[in-house]
Amino acid sequence: MNYRSFFKAEWLSLLRRKQDTLNALLFFVMVIILFPLGVDPSSEFLAPAAGGIIWCATALSVLMAVEGMYKEDFNDGSLEQWLTSGLSITYLVFLKVLVQWLMVIVPLLIVLPLLAQMLFLPFSALWVVMTSILLGTPALFFIGSIGAALTVSLRRGAVLMLLLILPLYIPVIIFATGAVRAAQLDMNYSGQLAILAAISLVALALSPIMAAISIRASVN
Amino acid sequence: MNWTWFHKLGSPKWFYQWASNWGGRCVYLGLALMAIGIIWGLMFAPADYQQGNSFRIIYIHVPVAVLAQSCYLGMGIAGFVALVWQMKLAPVFIKAVAPVGAVMAFIALLSGAIWGKPTWGTWWVWDARLTSVLVLFLLYMGVIAIQNALDDPIFADKAVAVVSLVGVINLPIIKYSVEWWNTLHQPATFKLTEKPSMPMEMWLPLLFSALGLYLFAAGVAMWRMQNEVLLRERKANWVKKEVLNHGV
Amino acid sequence: MRVFLLQKSVNLQVTNLWIERGERDLCRDLSFSVRSGELVRIAGENGTGKSSLIKAILGWVRLEEGELEFNGEDVTLHRDVLLQNQLYLGHTPGIKSVFTALENLKLYCPEASEVALEQALAHVQLQAFADTPAAQLSAGQKRRIALARLWLTDKALWFLDEPFTALDVKGVEALELCMGAHLKNGGAIVITTHQPLLHLSPKTVELTL
Repeated sequence: MNYRSFFKAEWLSLLRRKQDTLNALLFFVMVIILFPLGVDPSSEFLAPAAGGIIWCATALSVLMAVEGMYKEDFNDGSLEQWLTSGLSITYLVFLKVLVQWLMVIVPLLIVLPLLAQMLFLPFSALWVVMTSILLGTPALFFIGSIGAALTVSLRRGAVLMLLLILPLYIPVIIFATGAVRAAQLDMNYSGQLAILAAISLVALALSPIMAAISIRASVN
Repeated sequence: MNWTWFHKLGSPKWFYQWASNWGGRCVYLGLALMAIGIIWGLMFAPADYQQGNSFRIIYIHVPVAVLAQSCYLGMGIAGFVALVWQMKLAPVFIKAVAPVGAVMAFIALLSGAIWGKPTWGTWWVWDARLTSVLVLFLLYMGVIAIQNALDDPIFADKAVAVVSLVGVINLPIIKYSVEWWNTLHQPATFKLTEKPSMPMEMWLPLLFSALGLYLFAAGVAMWRMQNEVLLRERKANWVKKEVLNHGV
Repeated sequence: MRVFLLQKSVNLQVTNLWIERGERDLCRDLSFSVRSGELVRIAGENGTGKSSLIKAILGWVRLEEGELEFNGEDVTLHRDVLLQNQLYLGHTPGIKSVFTALENLKLYCPEASEVALEQALAHVQLQAFADTPAAQLSAGQKRRIALARLWLTDKALWFLDEPFTALDVKGVEALELCMGAHLKNGGAIVITTHQPLLHLSPKTVELTL
């Protein structure tokens, strides 16, 4: 195994399991649909709340997608092969998260304009929502990968993972929705986007190390 | 700088004996200081000119809230020590302190709510401080939950170390984001920080009760760590001797 | 048969190993060595921790005490040198069920040529299943995909945990031939197995309860 063959295999295995990607996307759509149905379908409520609704749905579907990311590797013994491959686990984690991110976020961005229309989000703010998702979701994936690595050996790890990780998502959600709201009020939103990018970079730098430690401890 | 104390801390036996000397003293001295601080604060300190007597809950609320944050900071440092230097006592510290910190965060939330009713008119306000203490409480629950969920003790130690360290790195970001979010949403009508600076006779009892609570919590943590050390080192000879000589 | 230039000669020294699992000691003061051309068999009844011993050497079961030395270098704390020169096959050997047999093999042996890959699959009697997804193969067939790596690798030291389970007589024969060739070529093997070896004579490390 080397990094190249690992990366290729990760791609291929996600492409083979298109259903998982589709499930994450459908889950995202379902959560968004619940808000107009459950709270208020009027544009007076939805238009200002749209950024928040989209971001809550994003955070939840990212959690769902990330939760099981090492499950199969754990069950079929691939994690043992990672550990004995002599390669850096940190870098393997980074590659895996990168592939996961692309596979979940690209389809999500494609359906987003349609959903934004359904939530009466003005077109000018749509670009901010998309930028905030591009800049903010790497943090969600990288932080989530730590929780996934910690709970991979547990049969019912999903709820525990939610409890561990969701509080850490709060800053990302706050700054992302802040940027969208600022854009809707015609205010400057570049600061919030910069902070989102900063959080993602910090998560990118530290999380693979933490996830690698957790994977090492999970396998025994 | 002399680092012997640091290396000694790595030895569970040395810690156990040190804690037997200091644990009890800390608890009793802490209780005494707290008693002084609270009695002084509740009975003798002057009432607040704005809030009247209801402000006196500060003598519980503030020490508890500050301690809740210090505990998590300590856990984060211990997590770092556990991961980098693999010190045996660091995970013991996290395991012992996490429930203490969780209780402190909970009391802080509860006393904050009780205080909020007469001053703000509601039990809960999405105030930046309240919200970040709520998140802190959830972080504590995460640490405790993963500690309980993992059966393998070595893995559990690693896991809580990772979770505490990640939590500590995130804590300032969370605090900052919540404060920023709060000012954007609803400018607070009343802020603790903007109160006129406290007169000495109000502030001294607060100092006493805070110091007392810190000492008390440190002592309780030492006791809990001693138990955990005995459990983990149960095969070692010194534990057998200790139990035979002094009982459990 | 194949002739590989092995990456290195092997000299693994295990000294005074003490491993704990839960409440009990798996081994204490265990010392042995593995050198080029040697086959070391870890013997012991079920539950004596044969797999754990291998995992401890590879570094993901904690050592209470003990030292590991690989080719003169102390690897007790950092196993990198050891890991880069070994190949480990455990009970679940990391075969992805969404991949075909050939794709699985390519993941682990990216440098091997198509011809070599097909030959390796032929050695484990899987040439007919090269393009079948592993999900449709039996547990034994999946293990054989992993074993096919042995014909392709240039790593000097092999750790094989129960490699003969799920192999038929012909498969065992082929694997023993492969192992014999590896030993002659200057490699070394650490193996756990219940079955007696037919052609090879191992050095035995005994684990007792």
